[in-house]
Amino acid sequence: MASNQSHRMRRRGLKIAHFIGLFLAMSVICIPGLWIVLNSFRPTVEIMAKPPVWIPNDLNLDHYRAMFGAVGEGGVPVLTYFRNSLIISVTSTVIAILIGMAGGYAFARYRFKGKAAIFIALMVTRAVPGVALSLPLFIIYARVGLIDTHIGMIVTYVAMNVPFTIWLIDGFFRQVPRELAEAAEIDGCTRWQAFWRVEFPVARSGIASAGIFAFLTSWNEYALASQLTRSVTSKTMPVGLLDFTSEFTLNWGGMCALAVLMIIPALVLTFLVQKHLIAGLTFGGVKG
Amino acid sequence: MKLGKFPPWLALLMPAIVLLAAVVLVPLVLSFYSSFTSYKLTKPDTLYNWIGTFNYQKAAGDIYFWTAFGRTVLLLTVALNLEMVLGLGLALMVSKVTRGQRLLRTMMMFPMMFSPILVGFQFKFIFNDNVGLVNNTLQSLGLTTTAIPWLVDAHLAMFSIISAEIWTSTSVFAILILAGLYAMPQDPLEAAKVDGCTPLQSFRFVTLPFLMPFIYIAMAIRSLDVARAYDIVQIMTNGGPARRTELLWTLIGRTGYVDAKMGYANAMGYISILLAIFFTVYFFRKLTAARAELGMAL
Amino acid sequence: MTHIIRGVSIAAILAGLAVTAQAQDFAGVTLEAKLIGGQQYEALYARIAEWEAATGAKVNVISKKNHFELDKEFKSDIAAGTTSWCVGSNHSSFASQYPSLYTDLTPLIPAEEVAAYVGANIAAATLDGKLVMLPRAQFDVSALYYQKSLYEDADKAAAFKAEYGYDLAVPTTWDQVRDQAVFFADPPNFYGTQYAGKDEAIVGRFYELVVANGGALFNDDFSPAFNSDAGKQSLQWFVDLYAAGAVPAGTTNYLWDDLGNGFASGTVALNLDWPGWAGFFNDPAASKVAGNLGVAPAPMGSAGVRTGWSGFHGFSVTEDCANKDAAASLVLFLTNEDSQILESAAGPLPTRTAVWDHVVAEAASDPFRSEVLAAFQETAKTAFAVPPTPLWIEATNLIYPELQAAILGDKSVDEALQTASDAVDELMREEGVY
Repeated sequence: MASNQSHRMRRRGLKIAHFIGLFLAMSVICIPGLWIVLNSFRPTVEIMAKPPVWIPNDLNLDHYRAMFGAVGEGGVPVLTYFRNSLIISVTSTVIAILIGMAGGYAFARYRFKGKAAIFIALMVTRAVPGVALSLPLFIIYARVGLIDTHIGMIVTYVAMNVPFTIWLIDGFFRQVPRELAEAAEIDGCTRWQAFWRVEFPVARSGIASAGIFAFLTSWNEYALASQLTRSVTSKTMPVGLLDFTSEFTLNWGGMCALAVLMIIPALVLTFLVQKHLIAGLTFGGVKG
Repeated sequence: MKLGKFPPWLALLMPAIVLLAAVVLVPLVLSFYSSFTSYKLTKPDTLYNWIGTFNYQKAAGDIYFWTAFGRTVLLLTVALNLEMVLGLGLALMVSKVTRGQRLLRTMMMFPMMFSPILVGFQFKFIFNDNVGLVNNTLQSLGLTTTAIPWLVDAHLAMFSIISAEIWTSTSVFAILILAGLYAMPQDPLEAAKVDGCTPLQSFRFVTLPFLMPFIYIAMAIRSLDVARAYDIVQIMTNGGPARRTELLWTLIGRTGYVDAKMGYANAMGYISILLAIFFTVYFFRKLTAARAELGMAL
Repeated sequence: MTHIIRGVSIAAILAGLAVTAQAQDFAGVTLEAKLIGGQQYEALYARIAEWEAATGAKVNVISKKNHFELDKEFKSDIAAGTTSWCVGSNHSSFASQYPSLYTDLTPLIPAEEVAAYVGANIAAATLDGKLVMLPRAQFDVSALYYQKSLYEDADKAAAFKAEYGYDLAVPTTWDQVRDQAVFFADPPNFYGTQYAGKDEAIVGRFYELVVANGGALFNDDFSPAFNSDAGKQSLQWFVDLYAAGAVPAGTTNYLWDDLGNGFASGTVALNLDWPGWAGFFNDPAASKVAGNLGVAPAPMGSAGVRTGWSGFHGFSVTEDCANKDAAASLVLFLTNEDSQILESAAGPLPTRTAVWDHVVAEAASDPFRSEVLAAFQETAKTAFAVPPTPLWIEATNLIYPELQAAILGDKSVDEALQTASDAVDELMREEGVY
């Protein structure tokens, strides 16, 4: 009886500790982000106040109004940046997935010499620091006319994302038994048909998780974009953030407003596909 | 699919290889060449001024370069390990929750939505000594009466940068480890319970070994991606003050673009690429070993 | 059809006459331009349409970035050889870095037009005898912003006099600034002053103080000259303020935006800052010091010289531009009287003599604006540009970490200046300057 009670007490203690721990962790995760959201609704004088203003007494949409306002009155071509970001991120994600599927399939289904070496070589391309890459890339792109174009950015981001998508998708195809595809081929399917009917459906959530990682990487990338884009034709939103800075000033409230516009689509997308994401990662990277 | 003389695996890999060769390899060859010249951006002719290994010798003898190198290794080691531990804790807590998991998982991934450049500005303001969120909070709560110079003090500055880095990247670990927890078969855990293992023991001997491959994958992904931290550091401190937070990326970026000494910057870049390759190969090996332990074929 | 075209071109010519007397016909010409981006610059760019209408040419803005990103792009362009675009934003502190990029404007701009700009600006825009840019109405020199109420408090004045032996008044020398900053400071709630603590910014501040204290940053052959008594005295000023806690502890990580926001938060007594902030500081929606704001000319150093590190924005024409005449016409248009009147209406200082007169007359009915202009005009009289060497920015990157090291106490003033001086000397030798 006594031990039963102490057991129950301990369980309850653990439960409370778990709740407090989780609450603290989520606070640390969310507060810096929510602080940005809050700042986007506050006048500059309150954000930078000292002594601090803890309870906002003036929330308004001024920063948003200014951002969407006319050029010269604080306006920033947000919608154009948004469109550029969307075109570049979505297209590069789709292409990266297609190339990743081809590559992943090759690694999962074929034996060949130097497989591990090729695999590592592909992965290491991701590890090259952007600084070493950005100037030569600029020179090449400038020569072939890809500077400040959607295509230039798409090609760059596909290359950035392919190693990781290959890796995830490779692991995924491995868990589809080889016999399954072979059986389909015996039943008269071509290898191509067998792939789409048997192997692809099983790998779908792996592809979804590779997709979300690729999308977020392209959506948020700054260093290369700042070098390879330069006008409204192709500037993406992270580069657009810098429109709020000039030689001496930085409009932090305005920057926060644009940041909120950047975060919302990414957040919605993640919320929608996160179930696939978890399932995808579960099998994708590890089993095989 | 008729693919000519190519073996099918090569045909399938071709798009990836061609693309990476064009976008990564060719530029790398160019910058590798320029690291043997006195290339200065503002004087294009210097690209043809071959100076042998002068830049490498200069880098090898440069105390600031090696300090930055050491500091970068330190940052990577500390940040990756802390992210791993915190990510593990976070994943364990989230996996135990019964209701509202979908919301919690999305919240957990919240920092991944933030562009690194934004994170730089965000934490620069949060850690501002005069009007920043952290000092304002500490002072309002009466925990301190001084303005703590988060971005200036020799130790606190690195701490602040690492905090920003951890804030953005722990999610990646948490999500991968969480995936591992979901995939975990329940039988061994039940068996451990029957055998009288304490929860701590079954975590140590059953759960953790199963999670190791996931952890190494996260490590490998993150070590591939760490250069993202460049944006954060550049905005927060740009390597200063007095070189206290100088990392390879800030040093190389400044030398290459602000000082326009691209040849020298590329030489330093090549030495640091070795570092990146080392980390990647190291974690890849670990991953292979962990997979083998679990009886998974590579 | 011809009728319509003729009508249009006549209209264009008429419009051209209205805008500037020298508007030429550049029909069919398309100019590519790379302009500095930022909300305060947009009003001027809206005028480009007028120039297009007047000349029949077309302007295609192919890049708009802040200056640091633009600088990176220019350097990349020089490296890639893609410099056939025509008009670029330029800045006096950066201009010397692109010796091959921009053309000499002297043969393209009538001499009487050049004479209409402030002489000191034209002198600073002339590098190696080449006029590389025409200055726009974005002239920057720093004056001293202060909180007025601090000087209206009798208790404070008495306490100050008791401690320092002279009357508390708006400082006219940097020694007074030091005394008063230490006196006003009450960390962590209130600071006496603050300074830019990194990059070119702190070296610029150090540079002007060295000059004000009777020294120089470089000798005539660009060998370092700052490891001198004037140099030590100047660096000591920064060190003393930091050690006394009279500046925010984070000041060595501050750039202009941090300084502006700090002063606007009402927690800083004295702030040497740029003219562009005047409107922001006096705007109640943005700043707590609004209505309590005074502006005085920059204080003097021990040699009786005012600090006056200055710079300005401008526009340049590339050497590879196919239509230099059209490009020069655009650059002139963007910096002509009407353009400068437009830009300076929002606060920045002009670089044309006639526009200065106009702005001062306009402000006559506005006491705050008049005070601001008087302070900046006085400081501008003795302002000086950065040393004209292409290695300026590179040299600052060697100097600033050492200044920081001294301020933070990692090194002594002597050690720091010795190290910085040696590093700059090595750089100059390596680059074959001497």
